[in-house]
Amino acid sequence: MGVSEIFKVELVLPHGDRRSVHVGSQEHVWDAAFNAGIVLPAMCHQGYCLTCAGRLENDGKTDQSDSLAYFPEDRNAGFVLLCTAKPCSNLTIRTHQQRQMREFRKQRNLPAPYSWSTE
Amino acid sequence: MAQKETQVVKHGDVTQRVGVEVIRKRGVDVEKLIKMLIANAAAEFASTYYYYTILRMHLAGHEDYKEICEDARLEDRAHWELIVPRIYELGGELPNDLPAFHDQAGCRAAKLPDPPTAVNILTLLLESERCAIRSWIEICDMTFGKDPRTYDMASRILNEEIEHEAWFIELLAHERDGKTIPSGHFRRGEPGHAPYSKNAKFYNP
Repeated sequence: MGVSEIFKVELVLPHGDRRSVHVGSQEHVWDAAFNAGIVLPAMCHQGYCLTCAGRLENDGKTDQSDSLAYFPEDRNAGFVLLCTAKPCSNLTIRTHQQRQMREFRKQRNLPAPYSWSTE
Repeated sequence: MAQKETQVVKHGDVTQRVGVEVIRKRGVDVEKLIKMLIANAAAEFASTYYYYTILRMHLAGHEDYKEICEDARLEDRAHWELIVPRIYELGGELPNDLPAFHDQAGCRAAKLPDPPTAVNILTLLLESERCAIRSWIEICDMTFGKDPRTYDMASRILNEEIEHEAWFIELLAHERDGKTIPSGHFRRGEPGHAPYSKNAKFYNP
């Protein structure tokens, strides 16, 4: 295993609150936030259900290879799955983006768990 | 109290349900709950029951693993059967399109791994059960103290998913690591016994 780098990840929370955490390159952002006392949404913890979705607000990069379902379209649009996202650079991430990511997936006929309704 | 809660549903009105309004009044986001139940139904039926059918076929030579995979498979089908009526009771409905239903699943499809070794299959089974536990405890949290009918169903299913996880930890630890990590369980009855979700007798000698 390579040497783990440490990156600064700024989380933009609902209502505009901002919190920064330091996350190792082999660590998931969600876990680092949790260890810093920030409990972000999550359910499957496998990078599949979209509950933990966030969106990059800078041109940072994440490694989503631990995610079970992550598409190039997601990456191009800046969506990240925080439960399985490992930082490759310093990041600024808007959290609580599950509704937006599900809508984005639906518009592209990509799997969007927890979005089906008759409304 | 009961009178106040039923006032929103007019006499003879068949477009609303008191059984829904009373839980909404207690704070349940009914529309969100329906979405979650559909996602969990899809996970039970499409992600696990269907794919576990294939997984068990590939456990040849490990007849004990095969039997236990079969129990988990049939119990997941029992979960599916239990969830569907509740979706409709709450005013929801299943997508009339199987691929769309499949894509709603909150847990990934347990597709046969490559290579289909016992270790790889057991790892997949274990992680599938873990996803199910996380999904069901979410519904337990949403409904506890507010929607006793959904809570009772979810907690029964959760009981079995927790047992499934314990089974696959035991089997994977044995197969992959040569370690003994007991599940604490000894037997089911008939295949797919599903003691909690079928309200059957569970093993307690």
